[in-house]
This record gives sequence, C-alpha cells and structure tokens, in this order.
Amino acid sequence: MSFKQIGRKLQLAREEKGMSQEQLARALGCSQSALSNYEKGKRRLYLSHLEKLSEILDKPLEYFMENNRPPVEKEHLLGGDRSDQFLHLINIIYQLSDEQIREVLSYIEYIKWKEKRGGQ
Amino acid sequence: MDFSLNTRQKELVEMVRELVNSEIKPYLVSSSASGFDWELIRQLAVHNLVCPTVPEEYGGRGLDRLTMALLMEEIAAAHPGVAAVIAATLHAVEPILLAGSNTQKEKFLPELTGKDAGLAAFALTEASGGSDLSIMRTCAVRKGQGFYLNGSKDYVINAPIASWIAVIGATSMEQKKASMRVFLLEQNSKGFSIVRQRETSGLDYAPIGEISFENVFIEEDNVIKGQKAGSGYLLLTQTFDRGRAMVGAISVGIARAALETALEFAENRVQFGTSIKNHQAVAFSLADMATRVEMARLMTYKACWLIDQGGDYCKASAMAKVVGSEIAQQVTCAAADILGARGYEKGSLIEQLVRDARVLSTIEGTNNIQRAVIASQL
Repeated sequence: MSFKQIGRKLQLAREEKGMSQEQLARALGCSQSALSNYEKGKRRLYLSHLEKLSEILDKPLEYFMENNRPPVEKEHLLGGDRSDQFLHLINIIYQLSDEQIREVLSYIEYIKWKEKRGGQ
Repeated sequence: MDFSLNTRQKELVEMVRELVNSEIKPYLVSSSASGFDWELIRQLAVHNLVCPTVPEEYGGRGLDRLTMALLMEEIAAAHPGVAAVIAATLHAVEPILLAGSNTQKEKFLPELTGKDAGLAAFALTEASGGSDLSIMRTCAVRKGQGFYLNGSKDYVINAPIASWIAVIGATSMEQKKASMRVFLLEQNSKGFSIVRQRETSGLDYAPIGEISFENVFIEEDNVIKGQKAGSGYLLLTQTFDRGRAMVGAISVGIARAALETALEFAENRVQFGTSIKNHQAVAFSLADMATRVEMARLMTYKACWLIDQGGDYCKASAMAKVVGSEIAQQVTCAAADILGARGYEKGSLIEQLVRDARVLSTIEGTNNIQRAVIASQL
C-alpha cells in the first residue's frame, strides 16, 4: 500500500460520499490543492489527517490502508450510457468481504427471479 | 524571512557547546574510551538534555525541532556517537508525542528526563531488511487485554541499554501495513532478549544490537492507538519524516567539526614558507567545505521549521538528510586530505569523523530510499 494507493482510496471514498474536493478540503481545513495532492499521493497523509478524513467520509481507518484490488477505471467498462453507474457499483463491490459479496449475489438472483415471475 | 535565532536559543547553544566541549569531546578519541559509557550521558542528563523534546509537563524541556537541531549539531560536533544515542531516543519518543495516550506519556516519557534519565530505542529493521515493510516478520496476536509479540529486530541503536523500546510489528501477515502497530516494550519484559551486540566501523560509542521477542505479552495500554487498526503505518512514516531532519543536524555537526579541525591545521601547518591555508588549492577546498556545511545547515533548519509550523515537511526532511549525509562524507574526506597522514592515523579526530560520517547515508532510510520519497512528491 503506497501513498498513491491511499490517495486513490481517498478519492473513491470522497466520490462515494458525493463531496467535491473543495467541500472535503474545507471540512478537513486544508486547501483544495493540498487535498488534490493527497489524492494523487504527492503529499504525505499523516495519522491526524486520515483520522479526520475517516470521520468525515464514514470509513474506518483500515479502509484506506488495506491492500485491496486496484479500483476499476471507467475506460475498462463497456457500459455505454450506464458506465458511471457500473463503475460506482463495481468499486463498491470491490470493497466488500466475500460474505457480503455472496449476499449481494443472492439478492441479485432474487431480483432476477422476481422479474421472471412477474413476467410469467 | 528571518534567519536569526532568539535569545533563548542562543543561550542554550552556548551552554551546550561549552558543556560538550569540556565534558564529552575529550572522550571521542581518547584511547581509554571505547564503547558505551553512561558517564557521558550523565553529563547531558544533569542539564535535562537526554530527551529535551519531551514536554515540560512530563519532565522535559519541551524544545521545538529547530532548537533541538541546534543542540544536536553541537553534540554531534563534539561526539557523533553520543549524538546517535540521543537521536535514537528522540526517535523512539516521537510516536508517543504524536499519538500516545496520556497514560503512555505519563508512563514512558518521564523516564527519559532529569538527572537520572534513561534511554529509549526504536526497532524497525529486521535481518531481511528495513525499508521493505512487506517482508517484515515481527507479528503480534491479540489475546485478552493485550498482544503476544514474536519476531526479531536488528541493528537497533540503544537496544542493549534502553529502558524501553518502540517496536514495529503487524497483527496480520496478509495486511501488514494496514495492521501495523507501535508496541512499547519494557526492557525487563518476559520473553525479550538481546541476541548480540553489533560492532560497527563508526559510531563505536553507540550500542547497536539484535533483539528477539518470544511470546512477549504487551498490554493494550502499551500499544499506541491499540484499538485502532491502520494507524501504525502512518505513524511510522511520520516518525521517519521527522527523524530525518535530525540526521541532517548530526551531519552538520560532524561536517563542522571536520571543517574546524582542517582550518586550524591549515592555519598552523607551514609548507614552502607559508601556512598551507595560503595555498590556493587548500583555501578553495576549505571554502567549498564551509559552503557545503552552510547548505546542509540551512536545509536542516528549513525541515525543522516546517515540522514546528505543522507544514508539509516530508520532502524537506528527506532532502536535508540526503544533502547533510553526503556533505558530511565529502567534508570529512576533504579534511582528511588537508591533514595528510595525520588524518589517516588511527585515533585521530578526522579518522574517527570519516568513519562516523559513513553511516549517515544508511541510517533512517538509505539515501536511495530518500530519493524515492522525494521523487514521489514531485
């Protein structure tokens, strides 16, 4: 886990929360350019910063530190107009545990089953 | 921009310079002095100078980084080995100052203050390496109200004599960085042992050792942010970013001592009817040495100033360490050239300083690691 990866996760968490860089920077008490450098991994994030960020973004500290698979980029998707939605969904799923992924899959199976039943 | 020091800083520097020159420097190359001796630490302890960054409420002097760097230059100019022992203690204290609980501060900090001050150590490097944390083996397993620590650390300055050691370990071998913690281990802990004391070519005064932990139980109260997984790695990087500026200060001290020695020798040494300082080759060499010492000093001051201001000091600190350590090596070697055979003689001050300066590009993260840190921020 490098500071670049921590920064990428910070960006994902911010986007998930629906905050702009400017809004998060204001909440953190730093400039927007400093936050941008945190997200690019060009500026060191220290414990006190990340503790505050984890509070603002409702993520545990480990979320930023765990070495998960790299996030999917938009250009990897073939979702047409829905690629933004797909990207958001996939990146949320990436952060889930195996158990949670099984639950999500069974819920998808349930939705498909319901649709099929309604169509009959 | 104001480069002047305040009255308190000037008085402290003067007091420490006088103290170390009379009580500590004579032992640097004394034939009777070899290896660690508490007596030199006691000289500093009398003036509460073993760990002066400890806040006043815990018995210390509460010095900021810049003032500490000024004092570190003086100590290193007199005795680099003593400076290394003090720097290792400052390093161990850093995680507690940054994120320790009040209980941890009350328990561990006062031990390093006052006339009976002890020393502390910081243990990260293992036999397999120090910079690549992914191959770190020291692990801890949570059980009950604490953790069982297993593993070993090597090349730990102060390890054989420290009252306590800040040990870096992980609680998950799969997610090492995410599970890293700082464990505060007391010297008398059951299962802790000193495997061997390392002999090094420089800094002979500093006791450097390999240590091991076999099911050492560490109460949660002695683990920094024990409840909070994910905090250790950030704490570690911040500790190093601050510690590197102090290596810059040690480098300045060693380089200055070499420059002063070379200058004095050049003024008194007569060749071809005049002092060798009047020969342009020697004069230019001295000029380059003085310029380099000033460059290293200013970069160290800037890094320390940024730390004190709560600024972004990571890059400045790494730069101060790279520049300082390389300048210390260049200046000590240039001084040895001016002193000729006398600079090569075992037991001479310059010969000692050349050996002491050599390690500066290795400790606190090698200079190549510093360059990687700097490059990542460009």
